[in-house]
Amino acid sequence: MSSLSGKIQEVFNEPGCGKNQAKGAKERKKGCTKQLQPGAAAGGCAFDGAKIALQPITDVAHLVHGPIACEGNSWDNRGAKSSGPLIYRTGFTTDINETDVVFGGEKRLFKSIKEILDKYDPPAVFVYQTCVTALIGDDIEAVCKAATQKFGKPIIPVNAPGFVGNKNLGNKLAGEALLDHVIGTQEPDYTTPYDINIIGEYNLAGELWQIKPLLDELGIRILACISGDARYHEVARSHRAKAAMMVCSKAMINISRKMEERYNIPFFEGSFYGISDMSDSLRQIAQLLVQQGAPDELLARTEALIQREEARVWKKLQPYKERLNGKRVLLITGGVKSWSVVAALQEIGIEIVGTSVKKSTKEDKDRIKELMGNDAHMFDDMTPREMYKMLKDAKAEIMLSGGRSQFIALKAKMPWLDINQERHHAYASYDGMVALVEEIDKALFNPIWEQVRLAAPWEKQSDTRDETLSYPHYSSLVATS
Amino acid sequence: MSQNTDNVIDHFNLFRSPEYVEMFENKKKNFENPETVEKVEEIREWTKTWEYREKNFARDSLTVNPAKACQPLGAVFAAVGFESTLPFVHGSQGCVAYYRSHFSRHFKEPSSCVSSSMTEDAAVFGGLNNMIDGLANAYNMYKPKMIAVSTTCMAEVIGDDLNAFIKSSKEKGSVPVEFDVPFAHTPAFVGSHITGYDNTLKGIIEHFWDGKAGTVPAEVRAPNGSINFIGGFDGYTVGNMREIKRIFGLMGIDYTILADNSDVWDTPADGEFRMYDGGTTLEQARLALNAKATISMQEYCTEKTMKFIETKEHDVANFNHPVGVAATDKFLMEVARLTGKTVPAELEKERGRLVDAIADSSAHIHGKKFAIYGDPDMCMGLAGFLMELGAEPVHVLATNGSKDWAVKMQALFDSSPFGKNCHAYAGKDLWHMRSLLFTEPVDFLIGNTYGKYLERDTGTPLIRIGFPIFDRHHHHRYPVWGYQGAMNVLVWILDKIFDEMDKNTIVPAKTDYSYDIIR
Repeated sequence: MSSLSGKIQEVFNEPGCGKNQAKGAKERKKGCTKQLQPGAAAGGCAFDGAKIALQPITDVAHLVHGPIACEGNSWDNRGAKSSGPLIYRTGFTTDINETDVVFGGEKRLFKSIKEILDKYDPPAVFVYQTCVTALIGDDIEAVCKAATQKFGKPIIPVNAPGFVGNKNLGNKLAGEALLDHVIGTQEPDYTTPYDINIIGEYNLAGELWQIKPLLDELGIRILACISGDARYHEVARSHRAKAAMMVCSKAMINISRKMEERYNIPFFEGSFYGISDMSDSLRQIAQLLVQQGAPDELLARTEALIQREEARVWKKLQPYKERLNGKRVLLITGGVKSWSVVAALQEIGIEIVGTSVKKSTKEDKDRIKELMGNDAHMFDDMTPREMYKMLKDAKAEIMLSGGRSQFIALKAKMPWLDINQERHHAYASYDGMVALVEEIDKALFNPIWEQVRLAAPWEKQSDTRDETLSYPHYSSLVATS
Repeated sequence: MSQNTDNVIDHFNLFRSPEYVEMFENKKKNFENPETVEKVEEIREWTKTWEYREKNFARDSLTVNPAKACQPLGAVFAAVGFESTLPFVHGSQGCVAYYRSHFSRHFKEPSSCVSSSMTEDAAVFGGLNNMIDGLANAYNMYKPKMIAVSTTCMAEVIGDDLNAFIKSSKEKGSVPVEFDVPFAHTPAFVGSHITGYDNTLKGIIEHFWDGKAGTVPAEVRAPNGSINFIGGFDGYTVGNMREIKRIFGLMGIDYTILADNSDVWDTPADGEFRMYDGGTTLEQARLALNAKATISMQEYCTEKTMKFIETKEHDVANFNHPVGVAATDKFLMEVARLTGKTVPAELEKERGRLVDAIADSSAHIHGKKFAIYGDPDMCMGLAGFLMELGAEPVHVLATNGSKDWAVKMQALFDSSPFGKNCHAYAGKDLWHMRSLLFTEPVDFLIGNTYGKYLERDTGTPLIRIGFPIFDRHHHHRYPVWGYQGAMNVLVWILDKIFDEMDKNTIVPAKTDYSYDIIR
C-alpha cells in the first residue's frame, strides 16, 4: 500500500495543474479532490475512474480483481466505440468469494490471467484493484509482475481501489499505470513529422471518427489516442509522437505533462466541441507540429480546411439559429465540457444560464469566465434540489447533463439532453455541432413538454400551471427545415 | 432419403436440404418456363417506382390484400358480448367457420357460433326451413339464453326476411315464443366488420327497448344516473374492457357495458369448458334504456347504434379509439361531465406516470415517420398519439374508411405540426400501402398480422397493433385505452425501435461497435 499512497501523493503534486501549484504544501498533501461528504449522494469511485479511462483500449482484456459488485454492475456500460477488436467489452472478473477473502485472492487472480491468455490471447491484460482485494492485502503488482514473467505478455496492474478517492483521482491513477507500464515499451515501425497523440479522448459515440477524417485530409497521423479506439501497441508506442493534444484536462493531465517531461512531446489543451474550438484545435495541432519540425505549408493547408468546414457547417446551422436564439440552457457536466460546450452553444445564440464546475480546474473556470463574462453562472457543487429549483423556476428551458441527473430535469417538467458517456450521438467536430443543435432542437420542441407542463384538465388552471412559463405552444411552431 | 424416422426434419428445414433445393430448381427450369432472374428482378424493382404507384392507385376494380373483414364477423363479435348468447348466422356454414377461426386465432380461445347451413336447395327455395331447423337445434343443443341472428351474403342475395322467418320459426315451436332472438341483416357486400358490429348491436338494443319485434309492449324509459359504454369492434377488448371497468370503478360510476366480450374470450383453464362466460346480461341490456348517457369509444363502429340511442333522449359522446394523454384526458373529462363524478387522484397519478414515461423516451420517437393501417377509429387514435409523441403518421390507411373519415383525419393532421406531411387514404388496400412504403418510405409500420408481408417486401419494421394479430400471442390481454393502455402502446413502439437498433448493429466484427446494452 505504501507505493499506492506514494503514487497518490505524486498525483496530488501534479505540477501541470495550476490549482495545485497555488496551494501550500500542507494543503497539497490533503489532495486535490474534495473529501466526499458521508450521507450525500456522490459520483463514482477511483476504480470506476480508472476503468473508464482505460477501457476504451479495445484489444486488451480488462480484468477486475474483486467481488462481483465492481464488474458485475459496470461491465460494458460505456459508449466508447471500437473500429475493430471488441474484447474490451467483455466483462472479466475474478469474482472472489468468502474463502478468497480469508485466504487471499492472489492465486485466483493469477489463474484468471492465465485463463484469459489461454482463451483470448489479447496483447495485454489490464488488472484492476478494488476495495476488498486491496483491504485483504492482495498485491496485484506482484501478481502482474510474476504473470508477465511467466507468460511473456504485458500484464498491467491498475492500482486504484475505490476507497482511495473519487473518479477523477482514478482517471489519473490509470494514467500513472500507463506511464509506468505501457508508454514507451514498444517502438513504432516508422515515424513521420506529422505524428500526434490525442490524450483524454474516449471515442464516445464514435466522436473520434468525426475528427480523424479531417486530420487524415491534412496528412496528420494519430499515433495514439489515449484511450479512445486505441490498440495496446499504439499506446505503447505513443512516446514517439511529435506533439499532443489534451482533450479532457482534468483526467489525464499527468500523462500529458509527464510525456512532455520524459519524451519532449509538447502539448496543448483543446476541445473538439464547438466550431471555433474545433478550428482552434486544428490550428494548434498544426502549429505545434510545425514548431516541432514539420514543413510550415501545413499551416496554410489547415487554414484552408478550416475555412471550408466552417462555411459548410454554418450553412447547415443557419435554420436552427432562428429557432434556438435566446433559449436558456443549464449545463451540468464536468471538466472540459463545461466551457467547450458553452462556447459551442453561444455560437448559435443560446444563452447559458448556468454551468457546473464541480470537476473543472482553475483553467476551466477561467475559460468559462472569459466566455460568460462573470462567474455568477458557475455552480461549484449544485445539489439536485438546486438544479430542480433552477429548472422549476424556468430560469432554464433545457438541461444538458449526464444520465444520472436526467430525472431531475424530467421531474421538473423540463427537457433534457444527454451529453455524457451513455449518449448515442457524436457531438464532436463540425458535424457533431450540427448533431448537438439538432438534438437540442428536438428535445426543446417535442410536443410532450407542453403536455408535461399542463395540469390534468380536470384540475383548476391555477392549481398547477406555472404562469411564469412563456413556453410557446407547439402548434405555433412550424418547422423551418 | 430426405427424411429418416430417427430424425424427422420439420418444414423449417426440410425443403432446404440439397435434394429438395435441386428438385425445385429442376422443376422450375424444366417445367415452369421461367423468366430470367434478371427479368424478375427488373419487374420487382419496377414495382417500387412512382410510375408503378400511379398505376396501382389508378386501380378501380380489384382489391389486393384488403385490410377489412365482412359484416357478419362484426355481428358475431357484438353478439358474444351478451350473456349466454349464441351467434347464429343465417347462411352458408363456410363463412361461419371463418369467423370462428379468425377469433380463435386472435384471442387463443374457442369461439362459439353456428350457422343455418344453407345449401343449394335453400338458395333456390329460400332458407326458411334452415332457419326453423337451425334455431331448434341450436336452442336444444347449446342451451343459450339468447340467439342473435345475422346473415351471410347468400341469405341476403336471395332476400330472406329475418323478421318473418324468426316469427315463423317460433310459431313452429323451434324456440319458445318469449325466447329472445334479436336479428340484424349483415350482408358482406355492404360495409365491413365494423358495419356488422353496428347493425347487430343496434338490432339487439332495439329488440329489448322497442318491444321485441312487436311481440311485447315497448319499454318505457325511466331515467336514472347510470351510463352505457360501448367499446366497438376492438382486438384489445379483453384488456380494454377490464381497464374501463377499473377506471369506472375508481370514479364510482354506475355503468353498463353493452356487448362486453372480455370474459368469453379469456376463460380460465380450470377444467370447465365455458361456451358462454360473462357478458352483458339480458336484464342489463333492457335496463340500459334508462341510462342518462351512452358513450361510444369508436364512432365509426356505432354510427347507426348511436343514432338510434340518441332518439331515446340519451346524452351521447363519441370517441375515435382514444389513445394517449390528450385523448384519454378528453375521454375522462367527458365521462366526468356526463356522470357528475370527479377524476380520482389515482388516475391523475397514472396520467403523470404516462407523461413521465413519454418524456423519458421522447428522444427516440421524436421525428420518426410511421405508416398506420387498420379500422378508421383505431387509425385516428394511434395517429393522434404518435403526433403527441413527436412522431409523424405519414401514411394512414383504412380500407373501410369513408370519405368523411378522411376529412376528419386531415383535420387531425392539421392540428399539429407533426401532421404537416401526412395523408389519409380511405378505401385503399395493403397493395396500395406497399407502393406508399416504397415511394415514400417511413421508419415503422403499424398494423395487424398481415402487415408482415409488407415488412418482408419493403423492409419497413412492423409494430403489431390492430386486429387480427395471429402470429404474436396474448397482446389482446393488454389495454390500449386509459393512461395505462397508452403506456402499453408506447412500450410496444419503443420495443420495436430498440429491436431495430439492435438488429442494425448485431453483426459481429462489422456493426456491433454500436451494439450497446444501454439504449
